[in-house]
Amino acid sequence: MHSRKSVVAAAVSLLALAGLPPAGAWGAGLTHAAVPLGSFGAPTSPYPSLASCRQTVQHETYSRGVLTVATDDPVYEPWFVNNTPSNGKGYESAVAYDVGSLLGFGHAQVKWVTEAFDSSYAPGPKRFDFDINEVSVTPDRSKVVSFSISYYATTQSIVALTSDAIAKHHSPAELRTYLYADQIGTTGLAYIYAQIHPTREPRIYNTLDEAVAALQTKQVDAIVVDTPDGQYMASSEVKNGVQVGQFPSTGEHYGLLFSKGNPLVPCVDSALTAMTNDGALAKLSKQYLGIYNSIPAIKP
Amino acid sequence: MLPVLGPPDAVGGPGDGDEEPISLYSSHRPRLRGRAGTAASTVSTLVVIALVALILASPAAAAFRNGFLNVHQMWIAFAGHPEKGILSVGKGFLVNIWLSLVCEAIVIVLALGLASLRLTKGPVLLPFRVLAIAYTDFARGVPVILVMLWVGFGVPSLSLAEVSTQSPIVYAGFVLVFAYTAYVAEVYRAGLMSVPRAQVQAARSLGLSSRATLSRVVLPQAVRNVLPALLNDFASLQKDTAIVSTLGVAEAVHSAQIAGGVEFNYSGFTIASLLFLAVTVPLTRYTDHVMARDRSRRLAGMA
Repeated sequence: MHSRKSVVAAAVSLLALAGLPPAGAWGAGLTHAAVPLGSFGAPTSPYPSLASCRQTVQHETYSRGVLTVATDDPVYEPWFVNNTPSNGKGYESAVAYDVGSLLGFGHAQVKWVTEAFDSSYAPGPKRFDFDINEVSVTPDRSKVVSFSISYYATTQSIVALTSDAIAKHHSPAELRTYLYADQIGTTGLAYIYAQIHPTREPRIYNTLDEAVAALQTKQVDAIVVDTPDGQYMASSEVKNGVQVGQFPSTGEHYGLLFSKGNPLVPCVDSALTAMTNDGALAKLSKQYLGIYNSIPAIKP
Repeated sequence: MLPVLGPPDAVGGPGDGDEEPISLYSSHRPRLRGRAGTAASTVSTLVVIALVALILASPAAAAFRNGFLNVHQMWIAFAGHPEKGILSVGKGFLVNIWLSLVCEAIVIVLALGLASLRLTKGPVLLPFRVLAIAYTDFARGVPVILVMLWVGFGVPSLSLAEVSTQSPIVYAGFVLVFAYTAYVAEVYRAGLMSVPRAQVQAARSLGLSSRATLSRVVLPQAVRNVLPALLNDFASLQKDTAIVSTLGVAEAVHSAQIAGGVEFNYSGFTIASLLFLAVTVPLTRYTDHVMARDRSRRLAGMA
């Protein structure tokens, strides 16, 4: 379920990857390029200062004095631990509490509510301040809801069978020679076309499950898929599967989802910027996302 | 064509409006006339207007229209948008159509066998009858979606050579056949039991074998009696093909879900609903027509 849902969620950044002009929310999301170092409090920062935010956000939240955070149920590691968002463990839970803390909400003032992915983008008012659920930011989605800047930059990975040649031989020149499979419209497929330039036309399937079946039965050499999904596929879904390596990030990222035009967004962006600059996000990533970070880096 | 409050058309009744007493089987129900009729149609019109007004005058009517009734989004979902990864709901609906046709064809045959089995009397077949009863109870007692999850996720995990490597649509078809055979068998059984015993006795006394009695005398009457119910179950099966989406088959509902997730817009669900209505409404109207025709034929000799 998790895999399929996040695949659908991830299946949408293709336009941006294809090089169309980035919308505002999209361009601001590159964590390593968003804000110059040491800019907090400086007049050049595009976001309000955290000190002034602490004065205002208490009155702007969905429920006065409380930060209401939504996510799906069930939720999975490494984003959450024990399907309990309120324990502060797991990457997304920790990020939510840290953002809350920077804006003046103690642990007890952060309240969790359940929101399925499919209903998180329903028109009209939301029952939460923001939703944290591995949602990829895209220009199309940004028309309907507002997103924060990035709290996690996703990369693309190669998944193959341990017995496949690609598991050992994957220099940029060698990568071009393999036969790839992917789901229609995914960022992985876009990456194959835009970065790998294979000599053979990739096999395109309607669902990722069909692509996995093709890999399992050795009809293709490899699948390119975003790293979290690839980790799940290689460890649980594909028999004798291996995550060969991950490519450098191309800017695809997860953002916190708000109702359109929510006044909290600039302050949350301010908090995420502070967490990027002081290394808090990197620390959480090191603590929880080791399974993704440890996948060897390869070049297209 | 909403069957609300309005007087039903008296189809094919030659003596429409005569003084015959109203019975359950009569198609000559007198029309509502005069004040009662005017009041009924006024009330129904007002209810519809009020519902539409409620939607249009709601504080976020524009957001609702954009989220659910956006024609541009409906078109994107219907036609599909490969570059964005949106599958065509229209193409997906063809999967719903052929899946329901294939399943219905299998169900019709299997269910008749099952119903006949349950009506046998001999002690030799007792174990099979018990098995048939157990199956019917199970298949009718568990929600289809749960059986779908059981089979769709369970069978592949068995790692059986041929059985576990089928496409999800095969599992989905199996589950629909599994569930609907039980329902349709009960419909058949009701039909077979509705044929008066005298019919069998008469056929046998004319020298027909028991097989000929079944196929020439009992079955034709039984099927005619339950045809509306069979068509009803077919319409229901047609709709339930939507449950296949839980296994990730690219049918109409799954495609609409993907379009929704990509565009953050629910209009794909609207277009999928319209496609289903385009098939089920004519089917239900046809069922009504068959029922009315059958009623008038049967009552023809009584006037």
